[in-house]
Amino acid sequence: MFGRTLFLILMFVAGLAAVGWAVYGSRLPPADFSFTNETEVATVDPALATGQPEMRIITSLFEGLGRQSPKDTHFAAGAAEKWEISDDGRVYTFQLRKNARWSNGEPVTAHDFEYSIRRLLDPLTFSRYAYEGWYLVNGKKYTVASELATGDRVEVELNQEPGVANTVRGKLLLGKLVHKESSGTKSNSSAEKGGDDEPKQDIFVVDVAGKEGRFKVAEATDSVPKNVERCRQVLLDFREVGVKVIDDYTLELRITNPTPYFLDLLAYYPFAPVNRTCVEKYGSPDWIKPKNIVTNGPFRMVARRLRDRVRLARSDTYWDRSNVKLNVVDALSVDDRTTAFNLYMTGMVDWDTVPPAEVLRELLKEPRNDLNPAPQLTTYYFLLNTTRPPLDDKRVRQALSMAMDREEITRVATGAGEIPAYSLVPPSMPGYHKQECKPFDPAAARKLLADAGFPEGQGFPRIEILYNTDQAHQAIAELIRKQWQNNLGITATLRNEEWGSYQDSIQQLKFTVARRAWVGDYMDPNTYADMFVTGGENNNTGFANAEYDKLISDAAKELDQTKRMQLLEKSERMLMDEQPIIPVYFYVSRNMVRPWVRGFYNTLQDVHPIRDIWIDRSVKNDDPRPNEYMEPVK
Amino acid sequence: MTWFFVRRLLGLVVTLWVVFTVSFLLMFAVPGGPYSAERNLPPEIEANFKHRYRLDLPWYEQYAFDLSRDLTGDLGMSSRLQDYSVNQVIKEGLPVSASLGILALFFAIVLGLSAGIVSALYRGSFADFTLMSLATIGIAVPSFVVAGLAIMLFVFVIPIFPAAGWGTLRQLVLPSICLGLAYAAEIARITRTGMLDALSQDYVRTAKAKGLSELMVALRHALPTALLPVVSYLGPAVAGILTGSVVIEKIFAIPGLGWHFVQAALQRDLTLAMGLVLLYTVLLYTMNFIVDLSYGILDPRVELK
Repeated sequence: MFGRTLFLILMFVAGLAAVGWAVYGSRLPPADFSFTNETEVATVDPALATGQPEMRIITSLFEGLGRQSPKDTHFAAGAAEKWEISDDGRVYTFQLRKNARWSNGEPVTAHDFEYSIRRLLDPLTFSRYAYEGWYLVNGKKYTVASELATGDRVEVELNQEPGVANTVRGKLLLGKLVHKESSGTKSNSSAEKGGDDEPKQDIFVVDVAGKEGRFKVAEATDSVPKNVERCRQVLLDFREVGVKVIDDYTLELRITNPTPYFLDLLAYYPFAPVNRTCVEKYGSPDWIKPKNIVTNGPFRMVARRLRDRVRLARSDTYWDRSNVKLNVVDALSVDDRTTAFNLYMTGMVDWDTVPPAEVLRELLKEPRNDLNPAPQLTTYYFLLNTTRPPLDDKRVRQALSMAMDREEITRVATGAGEIPAYSLVPPSMPGYHKQECKPFDPAAARKLLADAGFPEGQGFPRIEILYNTDQAHQAIAELIRKQWQNNLGITATLRNEEWGSYQDSIQQLKFTVARRAWVGDYMDPNTYADMFVTGGENNNTGFANAEYDKLISDAAKELDQTKRMQLLEKSERMLMDEQPIIPVYFYVSRNMVRPWVRGFYNTLQDVHPIRDIWIDRSVKNDDPRPNEYMEPVK
Repeated sequence: MTWFFVRRLLGLVVTLWVVFTVSFLLMFAVPGGPYSAERNLPPEIEANFKHRYRLDLPWYEQYAFDLSRDLTGDLGMSSRLQDYSVNQVIKEGLPVSASLGILALFFAIVLGLSAGIVSALYRGSFADFTLMSLATIGIAVPSFVVAGLAIMLFVFVIPIFPAAGWGTLRQLVLPSICLGLAYAAEIARITRTGMLDALSQDYVRTAKAKGLSELMVALRHALPTALLPVVSYLGPAVAGILTGSVVIEKIFAIPGLGWHFVQAALQRDLTLAMGLVLLYTVLLYTMNFIVDLSYGILDPRVELK
């Protein structure tokens, strides 16, 4: 009996001790500024990340040649102090500032940028944003080795020495590609699906310093034919890519087409530099751990707790540290929007990035000093599968669009003042006139449908609307089903799939109508237009039009801004007539920001660099004076 | 006794292998992969990615590779949380979920046992009726409703607890109560039934006849027997509660493991999903094992073979 009681008491004490230890071990002093950063960041590696939560952290940790200015997100001086653009718009020369330092004390040099851009382009980095580097001369050819042709200068990366970090490259052999040939054996990847009858051209014959060598991508354990050497990969010689270190503090970038928004792209985080010493010492992903990471931005990462927070502290090696006002910043991972809102309302955070839509509708009924929704560079639209009858008929696609009442959707289903969309490109793109599709007109829509052979919707097959599982998307899809039923007499069914399956269905065109939203990567209509080129990775409608492709490639080469915009306008005109997509609405940003938060501006990309934020302690919660954020949006 | 341990250990190995195989085949069958995303990978990079995570191999090779890696105790890299290995995710999340779970369990056991004992002793009374009605409600009402009400009441109306987060004991109170409530209700009902059963046994009558007080009889003699079904219930419940609750962790922004269980599957983070399933299997198996052991301690009639 005594033993049993003692056992229970011991269990109890041990339990409490465990809890105490777990809680005590995770205590942190409060931060100067904290915000809810949506879901846990997938990674803070600039080359690997995608998405807003990641961006908020990465732009605080790393600084590229430039950074996004807080007022309009355009390129502002960063690690580069001065830059020059050649007259043909193809050569960019950057002068790096000499006082920029990494947190380990090393200077930030042109070599760091060369290293980081190569890393971004390297197909073994698995960067989703590698294509941002394809503006550079031969950038794409470096990533996509199948584009290599006889006579190209190549680099053969041999397999890594055993025992080194996974980020260290193998020995490089530089040479000339003589030709490619097939080893005859089926590679593992082709065995998987059975298809692939073409034997892969998997042996690279390379002339290295006058001696011919035969190389095959294979691991040390894989078998290779006789006279063939194993290698990790064969890529274009990186010296062929438009990245050149002139001296330690001068970097030259050459791009294929005169791209007017290239500078803005460089301020985007995929181009942020990483520290080679650190990356190669610890390997990926260990170099990212707070105790290992070396950064060059305004903040350093002092702690990261999975699904809890990333804690940033002002860097004391950052060149412009005197202009960074915040000392300690907490980015909280809060998955639930209502929870994030609760944290904001109870004063535990100063900035709520995405309050729930249903709450916003209530809040916006009265004037507030902490909420100012503004247009954002994001379009909500429906993809139409143009390879599936009857949607292969342009008249049917137009009818579907004209029977859709966007005003009702933004009034009933959304609620933060979203703007009905009749074009793909959001408004307020500088120098661009957006091209709209036909407005809501049920009678004309019925007529078009009748012309296509479906009078009053008779004989029209049941169509399915696909969306990723989410209440908001469901509400919109239901409204559209109702509108199509009432206005066209056709029946639609809804299908929801969770994110992974939904993405897969869209990629493989396994849908009839599907929702999609697209956030512009940069302030130029091209970020939307170039999606719909034939076979584009994010086209996903089966839309293929040689004329459209030509407009996009002509626009890319056009030096004259006005003419370039006209070409892009023409392309959108075509897209809005052909209607492989139906625009629905433009997003508005919906930040809630306390009045004492200063240096926070409404921007089209909904980007708010933490570097420029500061706290005005003299302001109380009910202060009527507007801060920068509350200034009326133009 | 030794044979009992050995047999159970072998059972664990077989169970793990079966769970691994079934989970693997299920994951292999679902569409999509960890590379599915809004920004699509260029095909060549996707091929590299698949190669890195061995998704380009035929299923039996993937199976053999994953199995042999997991056997070494290395559960692989998470494909969605790219900065973490599965082992690191568990190492960070499990203590949090477990702390919350221990508090919730403590609360559930204290409340559930007391309510169950009182109900049984005063069977048919008003107290019994009230407690058991509350218990039924406690089981029926989902935890997000309880949590929502608790937040409204104790965060906004009477602001005594923080809305969410992790790091202080005060932040733990609401979530552990919300998490423990359903368990408390279940324990109360099981305890009551067990107690009523035990109280009608001959040995209890003997104890009463010896002149022991009501309370002494109930606690010393009836309770240990009445606890047996509670213990059986607690085994799997502990395994579940220690690995975290999706709903409570989401509502209170608690960095535990529960969220990963669902997200790993949704985002096709196959390595993480597999690691968590295996962890849960080990925990569940261990807890059931402890339940069996405790039977031997609580009930002298049970002998472990």
